[in-house]
This record gives sequence, C-alpha cells and structure tokens, in this order.
Amino acid sequence: MTKRFSILIAAVAAVLLAATAAGAKSTDTTITGAGSTFVQPLVAAWTPAIGKAFGYSVQYSGVGSGAGIAAITANQVDFGASDAPLNTAQQSACPDCIQIPWALSATAVAYNVPGAPAHINLDGTTISKIFLGTISNWNDPAISALNKGANLPDLKITPVFRSDGSGTSYNFTDYLSSVNATWKTKIGTSTQPAFPAGQGAKGSSGVAGLISRTNGSIGYVDVAYAIKNHIKFAAVRNKAGKFLFPSLRRIEAAATAYTTVPANNELHIVNPPKSAALAYPISTYTYIIVHKKSAHAPELRKMIFWALTQGQGSQFAAKLTFAKLSTNKKVLVAAEKTLKQIQGV
Amino acid sequence: MEPGAISLRASGRGRRRLLVNRVAEGTAVLAAVLAIVVLAIVIWSVGSRGIGAINLDFFVKGPSSDFFGGDGGIAPALVGSLLLVGVATLIALPTGVLTAIFVSEFASVSIGRQIRLWLDVLNGFPSIVIGIFVFTLAVKTKVPVLGIGHHQSAVAGGFALAVIMLPLVARSTMEVLRLVPNHLREASYALGVSKWQTVLRVVLPTSFGGILTGTTLAVARAAGETAPLLFTCAIAGQIVDWNPTHSVQSIPLTIYLDSESADPALHQQAWAAAFVLILFVLVTSLTARLLLERSRKKLGLQR
Amino acid sequence: MLARVEAVSIPAGTLPRTRKVGDRIGDGLLYGLTALAAILGVLVVLAIIWRVADGAWPAIKIFKLGFLWHNVWNVNLNGGTFGARDLIIGTVVTSFGAMLLSAPISIAIGLFLSELASPAVRAPIGTLIDMLAAVPSVVIGLWGIYVLAPFDANHVAPGIHAVLGWIPIFGGDPHTESTVFTAIIVLTIMTIPITSSICRELFIGVPSELEEGSIGLGATRWEMVKTVVVPSVRGGVVAAIILGLGRALGEAIAVTQVIGNFIPMERSLFGSGDTMASRLANQYQGASTDRQIAALIYLALVLLVITFVTNFAAQRIVKRFEFQRTGGA
Repeated sequence: MTKRFSILIAAVAAVLLAATAAGAKSTDTTITGAGSTFVQPLVAAWTPAIGKAFGYSVQYSGVGSGAGIAAITANQVDFGASDAPLNTAQQSACPDCIQIPWALSATAVAYNVPGAPAHINLDGTTISKIFLGTISNWNDPAISALNKGANLPDLKITPVFRSDGSGTSYNFTDYLSSVNATWKTKIGTSTQPAFPAGQGAKGSSGVAGLISRTNGSIGYVDVAYAIKNHIKFAAVRNKAGKFLFPSLRRIEAAATAYTTVPANNELHIVNPPKSAALAYPISTYTYIIVHKKSAHAPELRKMIFWALTQGQGSQFAAKLTFAKLSTNKKVLVAAEKTLKQIQGV
Repeated sequence: MEPGAISLRASGRGRRRLLVNRVAEGTAVLAAVLAIVVLAIVIWSVGSRGIGAINLDFFVKGPSSDFFGGDGGIAPALVGSLLLVGVATLIALPTGVLTAIFVSEFASVSIGRQIRLWLDVLNGFPSIVIGIFVFTLAVKTKVPVLGIGHHQSAVAGGFALAVIMLPLVARSTMEVLRLVPNHLREASYALGVSKWQTVLRVVLPTSFGGILTGTTLAVARAAGETAPLLFTCAIAGQIVDWNPTHSVQSIPLTIYLDSESADPALHQQAWAAAFVLILFVLVTSLTARLLLERSRKKLGLQR
Repeated sequence: MLARVEAVSIPAGTLPRTRKVGDRIGDGLLYGLTALAAILGVLVVLAIIWRVADGAWPAIKIFKLGFLWHNVWNVNLNGGTFGARDLIIGTVVTSFGAMLLSAPISIAIGLFLSELASPAVRAPIGTLIDMLAAVPSVVIGLWGIYVLAPFDANHVAPGIHAVLGWIPIFGGDPHTESTVFTAIIVLTIMTIPITSSICRELFIGVPSELEEGSIGLGATRWEMVKTVVVPSVRGGVVAAIILGLGRALGEAIAVTQVIGNFIPMERSLFGSGDTMASRLANQYQGASTDRQIAALIYLALVLLVITFVTNFAAQRIVKRFEFQRTGGA
C-alpha cells in the first residue's frame, strides 16, 4: 500500500515535471494580447501570416474591450485591443499606455423577426427609443413609418446588449448619444451602459447567439458576426437622410469625412456630417493598446506595422468587412508615428 | 408529538388512510424518478448532440483560425484543464491530507471541531468569490505571491481550484481516518513505534483507498469549475501550452464561451466538450465510489 | 477484525523499539507540518474575507449601506453610481424559488431512499442522484440554454401563464427564453442532490425501534413518516435545505447562461433578471473604473456575507442536531 502511494505521487510529480520542461523548451517569441471580440476574427486571420512572416506566435484572447484594457493596464498581456478609446480614468490608470488605430469597421444593427423582410430601415431616433424601451413592439408606428409597405408583425421587441465591458457597446452608445439628447443624458456613451430594457449576452458571439435564439430581438454586433451567423441587419439612416447597410464603401465614406487626428488618436466617426452622403453612421476605428515601455517592443513594432500595412490586405480585412486603414491617410500616418513611441524597457 | 397517538385512534377510516399512504408513497417514488429522468435527459442531450463532433481532430487540434468555418478541436483546453487540475491537486492533496491528519491524530476534540467548521465555511463560499480572491491576491497585485508575477496563469487558476478542493479532500480524509480502528494505532504504539511512523506506515496506508476516493471526487468537482477561472486563467491563446506559468484554455471555459455563440459549429463543439467533461466527471466519481465501498469492506466496516 | 490487523501489521524487527532522537524529530516534524496545513485552511478563509473586504472598502466608503437598497447600477452616472438592490432581489428570488421547488422533492427522494426502496434499489438510485450533483454547472447551463429554456418558453410558461397569469409573478408578457423562471429550474436541479442526500442520511439515522414501534401500533408508512421520522429530524432537514440554498445563492455560471442578465428585474418570473454572482461573472473582468471594481467587490462581499451566514447557520443546526441525536440515543 505504501509503495502504491509513493508510486502514485512519483507519477504525478513526473508528469508535472515533464510538462514544465516541455513548456520551458519553447523558444519562439510569443506575443500575448487580449480584448475586443469585434477585432478578434481579424486578429485570428492575421495570426498565421504573422507567424510566417516573423516567426512570432500571437496568442490573442477575445475577452471584451473592457477586459482587454484592464489586462494591458495590469501588464497581463503584451497588447490590449479595444474598440473604445481609453477614457480619462483608464489613461490615468495606465499613464504610459498608447492607443493606435489598427482596423476600421462598423457595428450592425441586427434583428431576428420571423417573417420580416431582409431590408428594414431604421434611424437613430428609433433605434435609441427601442433601446430605451419606449418603442417596444415591431408594429410600432415609428418603425412602420420608416418601412412603408413592409409588414412587420405584432411582436414584442427584445433589445439585446453586451453584458461585459465592450467597445462595440461604446461605439453603439456613442452613436445613440449623438442622435438623441435623452440618450446622452440618461445613458451616455460607455463600454458598460446601463441599458434600461432588454437582455445581456457575453461577447460579440454571445450577442449574435442571443439574437438568433430570441424572436423579436434586436441588437448590435460587428458586421462580420452578423454575416457569419446569417442574421439580418438594418439599413440605418445617416445625416444625409440615406438608409445604408454597413459595407466597405459605406465605412470608407465615414472614415474620409474627418480630416484631423487628435494627439491621443481618439477618433469618433459615428454620425458623420451631411457632406458624407454615403457614410454608414455607426462606423468605428478599433485600437491596439500597448505600453510605451514594453519587453517586446521590437516585436510589437514589427507586428503592428505589418498589421497596419499588409494586414489591411483584402485576403484578411475585406473578407471580414474591415475597411483599409489607408482609407484616411492621416490616420495611417498618425498610427505609424505613434508606433515609434514603443521603446524597449 | 407522541408517535402512537394517531395510529391508536385510527379505526374507521382505514381505507382512506391506506389511500393517503399510497399517494404519499407514489409521490416519493415519483420524486426519485423525476431526478433520475432529469439526469438521463441531461446526459442524453449532451451525448446525442456532442458525439457527432468527436473524432481524432477534436482531441489533437486547436480552434480554427478561419472565422467563417473550418473544424477546430479542443486540444489546448484539454491540456489546460489537465494542467489546472494537476496544479490544484498538487496543492490541495497534501494540504488536505495533512490537515486531516492533524485533526484526527493530534488536535483536541474542540480544536478539531473548529477546523472542521472553518473547512465547511470555506466549502460554502461561492466559487466566483474565490476567483475574485485569487485575482486580487495573485493576479492583480504586484506581490508575486505564487512566484509567478502578476498575470493570469495555470498556477493562479490551479490555486483557485485548490481552494475549492481543499475542504473536500480534508473533510473526506478526516472521515476515513476516523474509520481507521483505534486498535491498529494502539497495536503500533504497543510495539514501540513512534507516532509519525504509525501515521505514515499504519494509518495512511490503511486509509489509502478512502483518501484516493476523496481526492478523486474533488478532482471531478474541480475539473468542472468555471467561475474560479474567469479572472485567474481566462486570457489564453489558441495553442497547446504546457507551461503552467502561462494562462491556458480550459474545458469548462470553452464550453461557457461556445455555449452563448450563434455558430452551430461552436455549439457542437460545446456539446462535444461537455460530453467529454461529463464522461470524465461521471466515470471518476463512479470509480471513486466503488473504491470507497471496496476500502470500507476491506476495513471490515460499514458506516 | 483481528485478522485484518495482521494484514497491515508492521514487519517485526524493522522498527526500532525505543524512542530515538529521530522519532522525536519525526513526531515534531509531523506535528508541525500537519498543524501548518490546518492553519493554512483557516488562513485561507480569513484571507478571502480580508481581500474581499479590503477590495470593497473604497465602495463601502462611497455608498455605505445604501448600496443594499439602491437600485441604480450605472457606470456613467456621477462617475459611477452603484446599488445592489435588484441584484440582491434576483439572487434571493432565484435561490428561494429553487428552494421552494427542491425542498419537497428532495425530502420525498430522501424518504424514498430511506423508507421505501429495497436495499437492492437503494444503492444504485442513490448513486444516480449523487451523479446529478457531479454534473458541472457549466454543462447544466449549456443544457439550460438549448433544451430547458426553449421547453420552458414553449410549453411550461404558456401553461402556467394561462392558468395563473393573474398573479403578477406569472403575469407579464412571456416573450423570451432567457428567464428568471428557467434560472430557478436550473438551480432546483443543482440543489436537489445536495439536499436529498443529506435528508436520506438523516432519515436512515432515525432509530428503527421508533419506526417499528409506530408500524407495530398500526400506523401506515406515511403516518409513520409524518409522525415519527420527519419530526425527529426536523432541524436536520431544515439545515439540509439551507445547505442547498447556499449552493444556489453562489452559483454564477449556470445562472448567467440562462437568466438574461438584465436589471431592473421584471415583475414576472417569465422575464429576464440578474443575480449578484452572475453580474460578477459578467462585469468583473472588464470593469472600466476603479470605482466599478470596488463596487463589484462590494457585491462579492455582500454575497460572501449572505452565504457565510446561511452556511454557518445550517452547520450549527446540523451540529446541534447531531449532538442531540447521539446524546439522546
């Protein structure tokens, strides 16, 4: 019996030792990142290519933008990814954090209404009222007015939102705040807004899942997730009065409507001015966030430069409805300039 | 109430009393059947939906990097769970067994009762709070408590799981140590054997089966825990990683994340992972129970 | 029994017969090591309480006890305004709802296993029900999303709503699969094995002379259960239910998967809601300000205190009850 006991313990110890040894042997550079689920499909597509180009193993974990910022602030990863820019509190919690825009896409307003047409028009006011809970049925006159001839059912609307800290929530509420003053004062722009109606789900994929399981639901999720999961999404009216679907050209139109890039790279391209007649109004840049002083500085510089240039290639980005960052040259220039601030420890 | 009060009065209502008795008995049977039916439905749902996705690739491949499809596997999660549970066992098993030895061999009755109470309290703590505890202790603060710096890792996650396992291992070991007949210890002392030799050569070997059982049950519990890993070992890459100082994937978290998605392929992966997990948990718990029976019989004792 | 002793006896001559220095060191070492381990267990409990209280302190300073009865949870409002009322209500409603369902079922199962089932049936069925406890909560949650929730929404909820819709908690406008009701069922399933196995042990422990006496006096089995078995272990049954409740209070994953993660909670059980543990699972990792983190840890502290009190009470009842029983028998 004693023998059996010691053999067992020895075996467990041996397995663990072997495991540790095997882990320690790996010598290639691993770059860890965490954050946005919005950009996750793009990073996943980049990973093999970056491995091929530089021999780096990029390990990205889609835990949500909020968690990504927390992780880079606490130095748990080499980079964070967020669709929301750092807020004042976050910037002061991580004074040497810099944000670099590295991808450009849009948030779709996705819905699941049995029998509804593939083309539904919505405007900002209506969307905000739906998420405020003041419009709560698909046959509401406000919705019918935007969809003449469409036969929308008598069905309760279930708004679906992100339950975790999310840059997509930020982008969406940024848009709603710009179109509806009530929204701005009552809810505001946030990665974790206090939604007054609906249901929450975790991650972009959770929102897509909940929408597809819930009749009468409407939610916001990046375009790629909606397309992948065959969820319909609405055409949203922009300032010029046009109802537009999120597509590469519409996103590019939103990006080119702005000519300045602030020093901290914080870009807001929601609800662009009338002059951008073909712009989709809920477009957004998404950021990579790194420490200026990083143990992996050279690797990060190479990897991010690759992402800003080759990574924007259509075999990666366009397939997932990400527009090229070079759409707005100023943003690309600013991003490349910021990149130089990353220094070794 | 006096036990015999009713039965003595009962005479004319015999038929009704029998009927009530029948109904009550029927309800009890029904309740037991209900619980077993629920178990059967759960296992059937998981099995029938998961088994289709189980093949070799499922066990040896990582998640697919192609967003729009491509079959992926759960190899990183399997390895990660193995690491996590390994670390947890390595911490909880010795601590738990030593605690139990202290209580059964050294401590006074009142101190033993105290320690048992604390362990029960620990066992009652919500696992998500234990996750937050380990996060604030080992991940967030810059105190390298576990010698691994301040980031998520299999060690941190394993430590959280160990906190959950500790009371289970300690309590079950206490139970078996209590079953070791005192005359064994006395016989050993009578032979002039010291206490530590007696514990190591008589008490522990005798209760080996019971300790193994308790540990196995605790391992089964830890393997399925999700909440403690959310903040301690969730930021993980997509590849097989054997390094316990890295954050790793795990089966419960994989199920949790896949479960909410809209992608049928991910659903199936979740069901398949759940099937693997449930199989592991049920087989280990069943084996543990059989072992327990055997070791009890061996000791010639019935509870 | 004596034969067994020989089976594990010490080979003669291999052990010293006198107490040597080595033995004294060995004894001391073993004592030290085991005592250290025991203290470690206690320390972990204290450390958990300390870390959680410490992390919650900034939020306690800001929100004081009002945290418990204010219902706004808004990161943006005045730099972050947090109140736990609806989350506490959600936790209480789901766990007490689960307890209401699981208590009678668990007691019935306990009675079946202890009084009705023949020994040949008892062991396998008992084991099967214990197996239900071994199913991980994330698996129950997965099953909850795709099997239980649609079943509830399509078959159970409309039925209950049609008959009992005039009661507000069954009223409202059932429109979704993610409901408080489904969370209650999930928690019921998770607590039944805990409560029923303790009940079974309790009922088996009732002295058979009492039971036989009652039957001998002409009582039916039900009357025997009602008048002898249950009353003699009433305290223990209460404790068993509370222990199940403790599990339900702290469950995060399975609940968050099915409940809809929304506050303010709707009045109807067929609407969405949220609980303390579920909110922690959702927001802790991605909290955007220090105040929110502190508020979430405050939430964890509230949860900790509630589970601590319930479990402690249950343990005390069980202990007292065991003492009475062994003392009285």
